[in-house]
Amino acid sequence: MMSTAIFVAFGILLILVLLMIARRKEVEEREGDRAAAPAQCERRNTLQGQELVLRIFSREDREFVLQMRSPRLQRMYKEERRKVALHWVRKTSREVRMIIRTHRLISRLSRNLDAGAEAKLLWQYLELRLICGLLVLFIETFGPHALHDLATYAGELSQLIGRTLPDSAAANRVASSENPGTP
Amino acid sequence: MLTMVIWWLAILLEALLLIRGFQEKLVRRFPIFYSYILFVLVEEFLRFSVYRWFSSRYSQVYWTTQFLSLVIGSTVIFEIYRVGLRSFPGAARMARYLLLIVFGAVFAKTMANPSGSLFWWIAERSLMLERNLRIVQALAMLTLVSLFLWYAIPFGKNLKGILFGYGLFIAMSIVQLTLSYTWGDIRLFWPYVQPVSYLLVLGLWASALWSAQPVPRGKRATQLEDDYEVLAASTRTQLRRALASLGWTARL
Repeated sequence: MMSTAIFVAFGILLILVLLMIARRKEVEEREGDRAAAPAQCERRNTLQGQELVLRIFSREDREFVLQMRSPRLQRMYKEERRKVALHWVRKTSREVRMIIRTHRLISRLSRNLDAGAEAKLLWQYLELRLICGLLVLFIETFGPHALHDLATYAGELSQLIGRTLPDSAAANRVASSENPGTP
Repeated sequence: MLTMVIWWLAILLEALLLIRGFQEKLVRRFPIFYSYILFVLVEEFLRFSVYRWFSSRYSQVYWTTQFLSLVIGSTVIFEIYRVGLRSFPGAARMARYLLLIVFGAVFAKTMANPSGSLFWWIAERSLMLERNLRIVQALAMLTLVSLFLWYAIPFGKNLKGILFGYGLFIAMSIVQLTLSYTWGDIRLFWPYVQPVSYLLVLGLWASALWSAQPVPRGKRATQLEDDYEVLAASTRTQLRRALASLGWTARL
């Protein structure tokens, strides 16, 4: 029964993929040629630098707004910053898609294409898309500073563990000296 | 009566496909596909004659011709690969690697599992044998289609029609054969379900191959195609830069 379901699902999957091909318009296909044109083929390098990220996810801004002690202002700040952060992540995700799209459109014509390198690039691309998806989810759910808070918390936690580790090692040595038979 | 109508309709559509293929000179562009259609047309006449005058032999003739058409049909997939990727050497190279992996995996699985070996397949009932071979075809088709989508390969109406029609035929065959093997009741509808779905595919082909459409070709626009290493390194750098900028969000 299980194998029946798998085979039927496989047949349906093939139909769905074929429908994707059928729905794809010729215009979209030709876009490929246009994208490969020299003017558009300029390798995109518009990913914003650290400065922009600094501004969007700035702790100083948050601290400043917190100092104002206005719940309305805090709410507005949180909402606006969340929108800007989401916009930035989505824009970055779009640019990653464009980078890989340009790569695909050129590499399909390349006679010396390296299948291994293509697989690695695909993996890198999927990894980036996953990170973007997770970032969107995080920002939507917890706000733009959640990641920083989490990183800070993790940092503090690891420092705490680091500080307690020598003590526990010493405690272990004491315990093992009390029980020489135990490892 | 209904079976006869479907039968004659299929023969008519196949003949129409061939005539239009010759008129539009599509036969030269897709020789394997039209050979397949010609084979199916001859096969239909043969089956019809046997069904009419030697009905006791029909089952044997049906399965023999079905197996032959399956083998010839597999070469249609090769033609899709050949025509579709002719002007895209990079994508063609990737397709060869992927198909090698797919067929290698199928072969390894067949060899590793004695109960699932080729000899067992042959000994098994014809339905199972056909279903398993259709699955191999579907795997190859799925690999090609995914690659076409990934590299945004332009098909043109004609090739898209062949690809869509044959893929649909394979998918429907897998579903029907699987259900008829486990759910015997479908055999009551079998004489209608399979020919009707095949008629649908023939209709799709007739519409897509009614007139010859230009084959889109990939245009070489940059020098980067010639040096894949430079292209890959540039893409890798840009992706790393994107990863770094995403990483700053947590580091700030």
